[in-house]
Amino acid sequence: MKLVSRILLHLVWTLSLLLAAWAVLFYLAMNDRINAEMDDSLALRAETILTRYLAGQPLPEAESGANGYLLRDIPESYAAVRPKELFSDEKIHISERDAREPARVLRTLFRDGAGAWHELTMMTPSVGRRTLTQALLRWVVALYAILLLLILVVTVWVLRRTMRPLYALLRWLDDYTVGAQNPPLAADTTVEEFRRLNEAAQRYAARAESLFERQKQFIGNASHEMQTPLAVCRNRLELLVDDPSLTERQLGEIAKVQQTLGYLVRLNRSLLLLTKIENGQFPETEPVRMNDLVRTTFGELGEIHAHRGMTCTFRDEGALVVRMNASLAGSLVANLLKNAFVHGRAGGRIVVRVAPGILEVANDAAGGALDASRIFDRFYHDARREGSTGLGLAIVDAVCRLYGLQAAYLFEEGMHCFRIRFPESAPSV
Amino acid sequence: MKILIVEDEPSLREIMAQTLRREQYVVELAADYASGLDKIAAYDYDCILLDIMLPGGSGLRLLEELKRRSSSAGVIIISARDSLDDKIGGLELGADDYLPKPFHLAELSARIRSVMRRHRQQGRRYLEAGNVRLWPESRRVEIAGNDVELLRKEYDILHYFMARPNHTIDKAALAEGVWGDHIDQADNFDFVYAQMKNLRRKLEQAGADIEIRAVYGFGYKLVRP
Repeated sequence: MKLVSRILLHLVWTLSLLLAAWAVLFYLAMNDRINAEMDDSLALRAETILTRYLAGQPLPEAESGANGYLLRDIPESYAAVRPKELFSDEKIHISERDAREPARVLRTLFRDGAGAWHELTMMTPSVGRRTLTQALLRWVVALYAILLLLILVVTVWVLRRTMRPLYALLRWLDDYTVGAQNPPLAADTTVEEFRRLNEAAQRYAARAESLFERQKQFIGNASHEMQTPLAVCRNRLELLVDDPSLTERQLGEIAKVQQTLGYLVRLNRSLLLLTKIENGQFPETEPVRMNDLVRTTFGELGEIHAHRGMTCTFRDEGALVVRMNASLAGSLVANLLKNAFVHGRAGGRIVVRVAPGILEVANDAAGGALDASRIFDRFYHDARREGSTGLGLAIVDAVCRLYGLQAAYLFEEGMHCFRIRFPESAPSV
Repeated sequence: MKILIVEDEPSLREIMAQTLRREQYVVELAADYASGLDKIAAYDYDCILLDIMLPGGSGLRLLEELKRRSSSAGVIIISARDSLDDKIGGLELGADDYLPKPFHLAELSARIRSVMRRHRQQGRRYLEAGNVRLWPESRRVEIAGNDVELLRKEYDILHYFMARPNHTIDKAALAEGVWGDHIDQADNFDFVYAQMKNLRRKLEQAGADIEIRAVYGFGYKLVRP
């Protein structure tokens, strides 16, 4: 859930409750106030009539209908159980219109000088009050809705404005790749918190960058340093082999050591190659015809791995010419194909497809699908094969990242499939 | 034939010296920039093996010095860095070849021979072993005076061995040398055996007096029985 939505949601439900309570209270208070006003005016009129009646002055003509009054005598027993003043809402009969209309009614009991009980009933029509309170209700509801809406709109606007640096930072973090060319963080904000957040993000990015750089350098240096001792080992063994006094068995053992040493040399060479790719030490590019490169390499590897009895199919579905470094293109293709030959099921199929924008290598799987998220990692092995450096696909991945190609692993119909996409915008010619 | 080895790693220096002396070269050694400079100032060499990272200075500066003296020595750069810059820089400064560490000794001697051949300019553009002659430019092979037709890989194997006579060649090294780097994960060398069988048969049929002899469990060696 987005921050803005979360804030809005909270605002909506708290404000709805609060504003609703406010509206209800306001409505009730106003209603109460109107009633009180009506009651006051009724009481005032009742008092005028009462005073006149008691003083024996002529009473105003009783208006008929809702504004009228009614004076009647009542027995004492009735007066004893009734309150002296009683306000009520009633429907009264209006004779002119022969209809019943709502009215506010005040019944006052009083005793004249002779001690007889009378009841004065004053009434005033409450149609006006009804329309008033209805209008009041409508306005309260309408204003309530408008107010809520306005608050939300203003909140969204304010949030969007103030959160701009946050979103800029988020976008920057999303696009950030350690070790790649990253644009500088464009965020000149005066808000203290955002500034600190930006600083922290930049600090950690710089830290990650320097760690990455140091790691890269370390691998590079370690590999360089190992070259000379490796050369010494290999060459000493080669000198030893020329010794005529060696027996066949000893020669066989030396050959095995040589083989392991050869593996170490290859491992080291692959690590150096990876370091160099990541350091961008292959600047020169040229148009490379992938179809030819794949066909030649596929043929050579097929010859070398003939003993594994694999069925090789090459589908040439259109020219794929890519502008890249020729030796890296060679590495890319050789490592992809080699992976299929070395890890494919003996006696299985290898299908290689080259089409405009696509290079695809599929081989029959010996087991199930591989972990797609780790397949391009260094030293990821599904099942260890002697002599396999575990760096082939890492090199493929490094070359792809260098040229912005998309390398994907799929498991389809029992085949491991590696698909390299050469995007239109990529340096194809 | 005089060779100077400028290499700071004592063990490697010793091994290279031992190999080259066995091939009848006169070998002199320098362990750092200063002694390397002394040697090239005092003597002329036919070939110089030059490490780039030296105590006291860069091998590339020695190369510049050689150029300044218009030395006729062939220079092979031997570097652990295997970086393109070094390679280009070195070749631009007049080095003849570039050999990244770690290398096979047979490779080293093949490169030295190749550099010397180019430098001597005697017009001898071919390799010779016994009655077999091989012209690398035209990929032509002549045995006992007659042209011999070889398939591509057979020719490559013969060339490989003729450039490295008397070295015992590990079959993995041979495969790498002839089939290229793709070979690096092969665990079965049947494809080498097949080609080798054909080549040996053709050599024998043509009456070659050299033989590529199998060194059991290890590899092969070109010998003149």
